[in-house]
Amino acid sequence: MSDLWMWLGNLTNSKVTALLIFFTSFVVIVLYVYSGKKRKVRLESYKDIPFVDDHDKIPGSSAGSNKGDN
Amino acid sequence: MKHESVEINAGLLIVLTLVVISIGGLVEIVPLFHIKDTVEEVKGVRPYTPLELRGRDLYIREGCYACHSQMIRPFRDEYLRYGHYSLAAESKYDHPFQWGSKRTGPDIARLGEKYSDQWQTQHLVKPQALVPESIMPPYPWLLKNELMYTDIENRMKALKATGVPYSLTAEEYQANVTNFGQPMADKLHIPNGKATLEAEAKGRNWDGDKERITEMDAMVAYLQMLGTLVDFKKYDQGYFASFR
Amino acid sequence: MTMSTTAGTVAGAQANPVTGKAAAVEQYNYDIVKKFAIMSLVWGVLGMFAGVWIASELAWPFLNFDVAEITFGRLRPVHTTLVIFGFGGSALFATSYYIVQRTCQARLWGGRWLAEFTFWGWQVGVGAGVLLYMMGFTQGREYAEFVWPLDIAITVVWVAYFLVFTMTLVKRSQPHIYVANWFFMAFILATALLHIFNNLAVPVSFTSLESYSLFSGVQDAMTQWWYGHNAVGFFLTAAFLGMMYYFVPKQAGRPIYSYRLSIVHFWALSFLYMWVGTHHLHWTAIPDWTSTLAATFSILLLLPSWGGMINGVMTLSGAWDKLRTDPIILFMITSLSFYGMSTFEGPLMSLKSVNALSHYTDWTVGHVHSGALGWVAMITFGSFYHLIPRLWGVAKGMHSTKLIYVHFWLATIGIVLYISSLWVAGIGQGLMLRAFDEYGNLGYTFIETVTFMHLPYVVRAIGGMFFLAGIILMVYNVYMTIAGAKRSVEVDVTARSAAVAR
Repeated sequence: MSDLWMWLGNLTNSKVTALLIFFTSFVVIVLYVYSGKKRKVRLESYKDIPFVDDHDKIPGSSAGSNKGDN
Repeated sequence: MKHESVEINAGLLIVLTLVVISIGGLVEIVPLFHIKDTVEEVKGVRPYTPLELRGRDLYIREGCYACHSQMIRPFRDEYLRYGHYSLAAESKYDHPFQWGSKRTGPDIARLGEKYSDQWQTQHLVKPQALVPESIMPPYPWLLKNELMYTDIENRMKALKATGVPYSLTAEEYQANVTNFGQPMADKLHIPNGKATLEAEAKGRNWDGDKERITEMDAMVAYLQMLGTLVDFKKYDQGYFASFR
Repeated sequence: MTMSTTAGTVAGAQANPVTGKAAAVEQYNYDIVKKFAIMSLVWGVLGMFAGVWIASELAWPFLNFDVAEITFGRLRPVHTTLVIFGFGGSALFATSYYIVQRTCQARLWGGRWLAEFTFWGWQVGVGAGVLLYMMGFTQGREYAEFVWPLDIAITVVWVAYFLVFTMTLVKRSQPHIYVANWFFMAFILATALLHIFNNLAVPVSFTSLESYSLFSGVQDAMTQWWYGHNAVGFFLTAAFLGMMYYFVPKQAGRPIYSYRLSIVHFWALSFLYMWVGTHHLHWTAIPDWTSTLAATFSILLLLPSWGGMINGVMTLSGAWDKLRTDPIILFMITSLSFYGMSTFEGPLMSLKSVNALSHYTDWTVGHVHSGALGWVAMITFGSFYHLIPRLWGVAKGMHSTKLIYVHFWLATIGIVLYISSLWVAGIGQGLMLRAFDEYGNLGYTFIETVTFMHLPYVVRAIGGMFFLAGIILMVYNVYMTIAGAKRSVEVDVTARSAAVAR
C-alpha cells in the first residue's frame, strides 16, 4: 500500500491518474445520460420545472411572449 | 453510485462539484511549489531594501501594474527592446508578483539604471514633458508627499513571515552576510529598518532634494533597481533554458 | 401538469392587489430579489461610467487631471470591481435567489435577516472596496484588489449566501434539483475556493489595511491567474449560464432544448475550466508543461461552451418569429451569440503562437469585453426585463417596449464598436512591436505604437458611451415600471376603500 502512495506522490504519475479517472467518469456520465429510453423520458421531463409554479398572472412582458407558460 | 442520487441530493452535488473543480487547480499549481525545479539558481537576487520596498508599495498603490508588465518574454523583439527575458528567480521575493497582464506602456522589468534619477523624477511628475505623445498620467504628488515609513519594520516583519530573508536574530543576519555580503545584510536587518531607509533616501539624490524624504525618493529607488540584480554576462544561454 | 395543484394552492398567496404586499406569509421572498436587482443596476451605471472614464483617459490623457484618486491606475480596479462584483454579483444574487425559490417552490431559507445580511454585506463590501482603491489601498491583485479586512468580511457574507442557497435546495418540494441551480452551486463553491486561496496574505499589522501576499513570483502568478481565469469561468460564465437556463426558457415560453445536454454541459464545464488559467501566463517564467496543458484544456473547453450555447439557442427552434416580436428574446439570443463568439476567440488566443502576439495588447481587453458586455451584461439585461415586471407585479410588463429595443441597439452597436476597435489596436500594436526593418532592427519604437492606438482608443470610448447610454435608458424604463406598479396599487386601494365606504 505504501508503494502505491509513493507512486501517487510523484506528480507525473498522479497527474495522469487524475486525468484518467476524471475522463473515465466523464465518459460514464455521458453514457449514463444518453442511454436508456426510460431515463431519457425522466431526464427530459425535468425541463418543465421552471414552468411548474407559474402562478404569476403576468403575461409575457411584451407582445405576449409567454404564451407557452402553463 | 447513481447519477440520480446526485440530482436529488444537494450534499452529494456539492461534494462532487468540489472534487471536480479542485482537481485542475491542484494539478497545475501544486507542482510549482516544488521550487527547486521551477526557479533557477542565480546569483544576485536579493530582497528589497527598505527604501525600495516602500517604493514598491507605492507602485502597487498607484496601480502601475495595470499598464506596465514586468515580464520579458523570450522573443527577439522583446530582447532588443527590453533586454534578457525575465527569470523566475528574479521575482522570487515579489509579494505579490508584478508581472502584469497589459502593456499600455512598455515593459519595465529591466528599467533600472536605463535613465538618470533626474529623468525618472521629471517623467513621473509630467511624462509629456519628456515624451510628448505619452498617455501616462502625471504623478506630481509623489514629489510633494512626505514618505510614510514609521511602519517599515512591521512591513519587513510581515514579509519575513512569508519567507523573505529579512533578519531579526544574529543568526539570520550572519546567513544574510554569507548570501548577500555585509553591506546588504545590514540593510536587510529589520531592527535597522528606519535608519537604513533614511540613510538610503539621503545617500543619493533621487528626487533632487536630499533633505526631505518624499514618496518620489522611494519610487525612483525602486524603479532604478528593477532588473539590475542578475549579471547575465556570467551565464550562458543554455543554463536558463534548462529551467523552462 | 402534475404539479399544477401545488401551483394552484400557492397562487392565492401571490401579490394581494389591495395592499400591494403579499398576504400574511408570502410564498417567496421577493423583497431581497428586488433589492439586489436595483443595486445591480446602480452599480452597473456607476461601473460602466467608470469604464467609459478610464477608456477616455487613454484616448485623452488630460482627463487624469493630476488628481491621484482618479488616475487610470486607481480607477481601473474601481471599474472592474463595480461591474464584476457590483453589477454582476448583485445580479447573480438577485437571480439565484429568485430561481432557487421558484424551481424548488420553497421560500428562501434563513428567514428574512440572513438574506438581508448577504445584501448589506455585499453592498457595503463593494462600496468600501472601491472607495479604498481610490484612496490607494489595494492588494494589487487583478480582480482581487480588496484589502484583507474586506476579504475576510466577504468570506463571511459568502458563507451566509452558501447556507441560504443550499438550505433552500434542501427544503425544496421538487424531487429533482433543476439544472440552473447546479450552475449556481458550482459558482458559489468555486468562488469560495478561489477567493480564499488567492487572498492568503500576511497583514502589515492588525491596524493596517495593507498586506503582503503569502506566495511570491511564479507561485503567486499561478495562484492569481488560477483565480483570475476561474473568476471568469465560474463567476462570469457558470453562474450566468444558470441565469440562462432559467430565463431563456421562461421568456421563450418553451422548455430548454435538451435537458440531457445541460447535464453533460455542466460536468464538462466544471471540470475543464479549472485547468486553463495558466494560458494567461504563456511565455512567462513558468515551466513550459503548465502552459501546454492549459492550452490543450482551453481548446477542449470550446466543446462544453458551444454545447451550452446551442442548448440555449435551440430552445427557440420552432419559435424563431419571437426574435421579431420580442426584444427581450433578442437580448438573450444575442448574448448567447456573443458567448459563442468569445468562447471561440478565447481558445484561439490561448494557442501559444497566437498568444505571443495577443498577450499584453488590447486584443485581450477586447476579448474580455465581448464576453463581459456581449454575454454577461446582455443576458442580465434580458433576464431583468423579464424579472422586473414579475417582481413588482406589473401585468402589462415593462413600461416601454420601444425603449427595450432602443437599449438593445445601443448596446449592440456599442459592443461592435468596442471590440472591433480593440482588434485593430491590439493586433496592430502586436504586429508593430514585432516588426523589423531590413537591417534586422526594431521597426517601431514603443511610443509609435501608442500614437497608432489613439484612434482605436477614441472609437472604443465611444463604443463604451453607447453601452452606458443603453443601461441608463434601462434604469429609466425600470423606474417607470416600478413607479407605475406603485401608482396602480394606490388607485386600487382608493377604489377599494371607496367601494367599502359605499
